[in-house]
Amino acid sequence: MIKDLMDIAGRAVRPFKRRAYGRTFVCPVCHLELAFADVDGNGLAVCPVCGAVISLEAPYGHAVPVVVDMEINRAQPKLRLHPMASHLPVGLFPVACLGAGVLLVASLLAPAAWPTALIERATLLVLALAVGLSPLTIAAGVSDWRRRYGGRPYRIIRLKLAFSACFVVLGGLAVALHASGAVFSPATGLIAAASPLELLAAVAYFATLAVNLVVVGTLGHVGGNLVFGR
Amino acid sequence: MIDFSFSPAQQGLREQAKAFTEEWVAPNAARHDRTGEFPKEICREAFRRGFMNTSVPKEYGGRGLAVLDHCLVTEEICTGCSGIGTAIDGNGLSQAPVILAGTPEQKARFLAPMTEELMFSAYAVTEPEAGSDVARVKTTAVKVGSDYVLNGVKWWITNGSVASWYFVLARVEDRQTGFIVPADSAGVVRGPKEINLGQHASNTVRVTFEDVKVPEAFRLGAEGDGFKIAMETFNHTRPGIAAGANGITKAALNIALSYAKRRRTFDKKLISNQGISFKLAEMMTKLDAARFLAYKAAWLIDNGTDNAREASEAKWFASDVAMEAAIACAQILGGYGYTNEMPAEKLVRDAKIYQIYEGASEIQKMIVVAKLMRTKVVE
Ligand SMILES: Cc1cc2nc3c(=O)[nH]c(=O)nc-3n(C[C@H](O)[C@H](O)[C@H](O)COP(=O)(O)OP(=O)(O)OC[C@H]3O[C@@H](n4cnc5c(N)ncnc54)[C@H](O)[C@@H]3O)c2cc1C
Ligand SMILES: [Zn+2]
Repeated sequence: MIKDLMDIAGRAVRPFKRRAYGRTFVCPVCHLELAFADVDGNGLAVCPVCGAVISLEAPYGHAVPVVVDMEINRAQPKLRLHPMASHLPVGLFPVACLGAGVLLVASLLAPAAWPTALIERATLLVLALAVGLSPLTIAAGVSDWRRRYGGRPYRIIRLKLAFSACFVVLGGLAVALHASGAVFSPATGLIAAASPLELLAAVAYFATLAVNLVVVGTLGHVGGNLVFGR
Repeated sequence: MIDFSFSPAQQGLREQAKAFTEEWVAPNAARHDRTGEFPKEICREAFRRGFMNTSVPKEYGGRGLAVLDHCLVTEEICTGCSGIGTAIDGNGLSQAPVILAGTPEQKARFLAPMTEELMFSAYAVTEPEAGSDVARVKTTAVKVGSDYVLNGVKWWITNGSVASWYFVLARVEDRQTGFIVPADSAGVVRGPKEINLGQHASNTVRVTFEDVKVPEAFRLGAEGDGFKIAMETFNHTRPGIAAGANGITKAALNIALSYAKRRRTFDKKLISNQGISFKLAEMMTKLDAARFLAYKAAWLIDNGTDNAREASEAKWFASDVAMEAAIACAQILGGYGYTNEMPAEKLVRDAKIYQIYEGASEIQKMIVVAKLMRTKVVE
């Protein structure tokens, strides 16, 4: 079941990945997927995860990576700020989504007993924290990339940077919509939807959250690959 | 005087190993081959019956078996499944350096517990950029106070994700040095199980050492002794590897023989065609030759004689014979030799590793040549 879902997800992102990475090959030591474009002018690529220095050729289309050296003595995991800092947005954002989801359900079913006003305030706080702290996480990531990976322009890092920007922009939009009071009524905490404009704001808000959940999930997944290999 | 007979004790050992193989190893071979699951329960039974840690000396609770005895056991177990055999035998490779070069304290601390309960250890020498050429090993060990700090990546480490400690070869400046590194040291990171061609029951992983602190007391021998220790180990273990390959040959021969006697084509039994029966005759002859090489290499080291040449001869020859025999077996079984419902195709996949690990065949031949270079006339 889970495997089927992962298969479906894998098939869905494949064309997108193609576009982001171009042709790829797999590090023969840690199995991280690297792009042909990561190979530098000397025909070498250094695997960001395991430090394998890989010489790449593709005779008749078959990628044949050869490990010619290892980069060891790099900045060590315990000094890596980004994997720790990343838990702020990656951990908080889904909680905010959960809060918004509860409010959506409450608005549809209208159970009087739920403390919706409180949930609405808490959701906004968590959402603001997740988005507000993410620049710190990104800064830590850039710093780790420079220290541990020598600032090499890996495709996977570019993908992370692009997705991080996406997260901040969409997250900022969601916070703005939420804080404006157009989505949830400040008094009850339920979805206002009194005018078409407010309905539109609510739809935009939930769509933004959904897309950003995918974005942050991808960031977490790719980041995990960078720490643990595959 | 030459005596080719087994002593009653050796005969008994063979029979015990055969019984274990028929009861535990062979019936589970296909399952572990398909799932890749580590055969821990089978190892537990092997441990209970005294087939693990065979070379640990008696004073540390082991059986202190001779290399030749170990060969007899390994050949039997690998006839059932060489992947499971490798999992069972993996401890021996990493224990040998400690037995050879360890202090009494090191032996008491790392070998003795392994004879009390089921535990694993692993030999971590190969690196992604240095396999055959062990002198290229790059893992560094820097002396800090009374500790060494290790950094590096070890690759294709058999039993790597179940081991409680590793024998690690690292360089202290330019001196290759051996260390015993407990697996629970901070900074030891084990990778996922590699998906190999064959021997799926055996666990092969990457082990990364990131700022791992190792006390000076865990250094084997002096700084700079590591290369010698790592290489001497092979004189003790290569006869056993040859015996494992002989197990595959024996399995291939038995399966092919049984099939050829019963399968009929063109109104007669397969075996009545010389094209088939000669294959069987060649397998038998080569198995005998490979066994004698392995037994002799083992016997030499058991008697305290240098066996580097003979151990290398045994290892490459037995590996080649196993590979040939597995392919011949698959050929004799025809289409049934190619499906995974029958045991032949697994032998083909399993046999290949013997030509690669513990020094590839080319390296064994280089060792033989090195000895020849110092020989005027071969007696
Ligand atoms: C399943 C598995 C388990 C393993 N378990 C362990 C383990 O537990 N511990 C451990 O330390 N290592 C282990 N290894 C590593 C193994 O010992 C090495 O793979 C082996 O020594 C070959 O090294 P390499 O792969 O780097 O090949 P290379 O050294 O790159 O050699 C490539 C090929 O070139 C040949 N060659 C190299 N030099 C020469 C030469 N001068 N002349 C002619 N031919 C040459 C080799 O024979 C080989 O065929 C394992 C490997 C595998 C696949
Ligand atoms: Zn890698």
